[in-house]
Amino acid sequence: MTTHVGRRVPRVDAREKVTGTAVYGVDVRLPGMLHGATLRSPYPHARIISIDTKAAAAAPGVEVIVTGRGFPFIFGSAIKDQPFLAIDRVRYVGEPVVAIAARTEAQAQEAVDLLKVEYEVLPAVLDPLQALEVDAPLVHPDMHTYDRGPHEIVPNTNINTLWTFERGDVQAGFAAADLVVEDEFTAHALSHAALEPHVAVARYEAATGAYTVWVSTDRPFQLRGELTAALGIPSDKMRLIVANVGGSFGGKNTLIAESIAVALARYAGGAPVRVEFSREDDLVATQTRVPAIMKIKTGVTNDGILTARSADILWDSGAYTSNTVGVAIRGSSTIFGPYRIPDLALVARQVYTNRAITGSYRGYGTTQVTWACESQMDMIAARLEIDPVAFRIRNAYEEGDSYINEQIMHGVGLRESLERTSDEIGWGDVDRRPAPHLRRGKGIATMIKPTATPTSSNCVIKVEDDGRVSVLVAAPEIGSGQATVLAQMAADAVGVPIESVVIPPTDTAFSPFNGPVASSRTTYHVGNAIRMAGGDVREKILATAAEVLGFEPEILELVDGKIVVEGESVTTVAGLLGGFGFEGHSVTAEARFTTRGSPLLKAPPPYDWMSSIFWMFATHAVELEVDTETGVVRIIKVAAAQDVGRAINPMTCEQQIEGGVVMGISNALFEEFKGSGGRIENGSFAEYKLAAMPDLPEIIPIIVESDHSEAPFGAKGVGEPAAAATPPAIANALYDAVGIRITDLPLTAEKVLEAIAEAAARDGE
Amino acid sequence: MIELLLTVNGTPRTIEVEVRTTLLEVLREGLLLTGTKEACGVGECGSCMILLDGEPMPSCLVLAADADRCNVETVEGLASDGVLDEIQRAFVDTGAFQCGFCTPGMLVAAKALLRDHPDATPGEIKQGLSGVLCRCGSYTKIMKAFEVLTGRKT
Repeated sequence: MTTHVGRRVPRVDAREKVTGTAVYGVDVRLPGMLHGATLRSPYPHARIISIDTKAAAAAPGVEVIVTGRGFPFIFGSAIKDQPFLAIDRVRYVGEPVVAIAARTEAQAQEAVDLLKVEYEVLPAVLDPLQALEVDAPLVHPDMHTYDRGPHEIVPNTNINTLWTFERGDVQAGFAAADLVVEDEFTAHALSHAALEPHVAVARYEAATGAYTVWVSTDRPFQLRGELTAALGIPSDKMRLIVANVGGSFGGKNTLIAESIAVALARYAGGAPVRVEFSREDDLVATQTRVPAIMKIKTGVTNDGILTARSADILWDSGAYTSNTVGVAIRGSSTIFGPYRIPDLALVARQVYTNRAITGSYRGYGTTQVTWACESQMDMIAARLEIDPVAFRIRNAYEEGDSYINEQIMHGVGLRESLERTSDEIGWGDVDRRPAPHLRRGKGIATMIKPTATPTSSNCVIKVEDDGRVSVLVAAPEIGSGQATVLAQMAADAVGVPIESVVIPPTDTAFSPFNGPVASSRTTYHVGNAIRMAGGDVREKILATAAEVLGFEPEILELVDGKIVVEGESVTTVAGLLGGFGFEGHSVTAEARFTTRGSPLLKAPPPYDWMSSIFWMFATHAVELEVDTETGVVRIIKVAAAQDVGRAINPMTCEQQIEGGVVMGISNALFEEFKGSGGRIENGSFAEYKLAAMPDLPEIIPIIVESDHSEAPFGAKGVGEPAAAATPPAIANALYDAVGIRITDLPLTAEKVLEAIAEAAARDGE
Repeated sequence: MIELLLTVNGTPRTIEVEVRTTLLEVLREGLLLTGTKEACGVGECGSCMILLDGEPMPSCLVLAADADRCNVETVEGLASDGVLDEIQRAFVDTGAFQCGFCTPGMLVAAKALLRDHPDATPGEIKQGLSGVLCRCGSYTKIMKAFEVLTGRKT
């Protein structure tokens, strides 16, 4: 019996968001709150010789000054390599060196200007290829001594991640091919540019040694873990509270403003300290997408069957690894695309450079490798003179195929996504020259993505005596609509109207554990925990009803908040539990859902860890127009299909798909950091352009549904794949329109114009 | 310090501010109207859009002193007695927001646009809202909201 799942239920956060009452991290205000400001490194690599804080300490309103030496802790997820504030050495332009808390933000900023730091400038590593040179300066000479996880590093180099993968015999695979192509692609750094900047408010109570931090993050339990590990304190001494998050896109999941706020709070005598990044700092001195240089070699037969692929990928983590190690490994593994290719080989390396930190970005590495894989697929199709859609379908995964680690793939709606997008875009039918200076073309690209596996989610459901159903889950609403789909699933699992479901804000002191709101995992994992706890709480309510009303439990049903006997409502949940009066009656149930041990994950070692509990597929088809006089590309239409399993809420699925396309267009055509000497110089939205309303094409979201036996109400994840396929689909459409192939993102008007001129010169020869 | 008289969402407010205080700071910090958001501080994103004597304006660029004796309308003034106005209603029904951070600015800009162009064409809508960035990319659904509001297919 399903009453809410599958419907276009209005978002449960709608009212507070359209009335301006929704509380975000930036809105947290506490009595006696101080304001933080940060002095940042002007150099990509330098030794700190001295820090003079005297003048700043005497400035009006200043309450706390803290340096790296004063709070000498180190954090990191895969490698503990990052200080809260630079200790003795700075490793990127913009690295926090000294933090000051004052009574007002202006006072803090004025005091920062009075700080004097003496540096000895050191030779810097400014690009990942330089990082690999034998005599390159080492960004972390002591890397091999750091606490770290099990992944491989190369000591005494800048290589902080080395991962290789092989299947079959790649040389034999190339030998069996009629055509072997080898190409190089680069994917650039991108800002997440969530409109809510990085912000945190931290308070420290000396009497108990406990911190409370109001954060804007998608990873409350994981950030708590990084903080407690760094500071060496138990979990109850670090409480994180999350309200609404004003966008994350993978960017709000490491310690950014949080680490500075915590360091200041430690010395603020119990006063809360608020740290908010300016837009400039947010753009130039926080996590970006991990840039990648990808060499990819593919063998194919004349009739378009892929035989082998090898790839060599170089990732640039920037000065600290943040969460890039996982990106480099999981991201690299998807460069083989959603295709059956028998023989494979991969070398992935990630290097430190003296550049701003990088990290996860909507898609966790798949946006970069999809750019390479899907651009090359069209280059191969052109060489073989076969249709790009037919070529993809010929090699595309189908239900029951083996993934590269031999996991049997389940829930594969890939082919349908290719067919429906190409139909919707009118594949093969292009008005090529609508005006003398305009050319049109169409292009397609597809993608595959795993979700983090195994991970777990817990849920506690609490039914109050007025019939309200509180669903306690640590799943902050980052914008992607999960509060709504979780409420829909809870309403159906328990048997109550959605209006009586409440999802309180996440508080690590009360919310049960959850993995991150990342990897498009929330609907599936938290949804399963809700389904389990919801069924349990329903049984308990019915048992109570049976006892109170004198019925056999088997004949009772809970429908829309009513206790029903043979189709007749005998009371409501509120009537039943409220009837206990002053004695009171609340019903609770809890569940833990983990994907560990699922038979769907079965695969032989050593690559069994690559199995994913569900696989995501998305295909985007683009029609665009190029102005051959200016190089300006205008996207006309995008058909975007995504296999979502079953849509819990078609409207929120569409939001993710449409928003992903806009982000993909923005990433591909407009966004680019500019600067030199390790310094980013375009730290504003005027110079780092995001797609705006006038850039919007017609977007047709297509929801593809596939069966998944363990998914809650059939649902997989939606958020990440939505942005990855757009950039290569645009590049492929550009090729279709004007015969140019650009392999390094972004596809700016200057590059397009230059490539058109080169192509014209070549054709003229 | 200078004393100002502002009419905010129909209510006259007398406030004392420093000369360099922006209207955005007055709204958020002084009057605790935190619906209006700051995302760039230099007038490039539109999250802090308000109506100043009816005209859409990024409030981070307006010195509070220059708003003396002006009418200021913010997102908090759209609904009356808890009843959403037609634009808010359309945004809810079509799902024209995601994280919601730009929504207050977008709604205010939409109000001015709809007042000046009750029959706005798709081109006018895109131009009229071009000053408000939405990183979640809710633009398609915002166009849908305008379909509802104008009764015209976008």
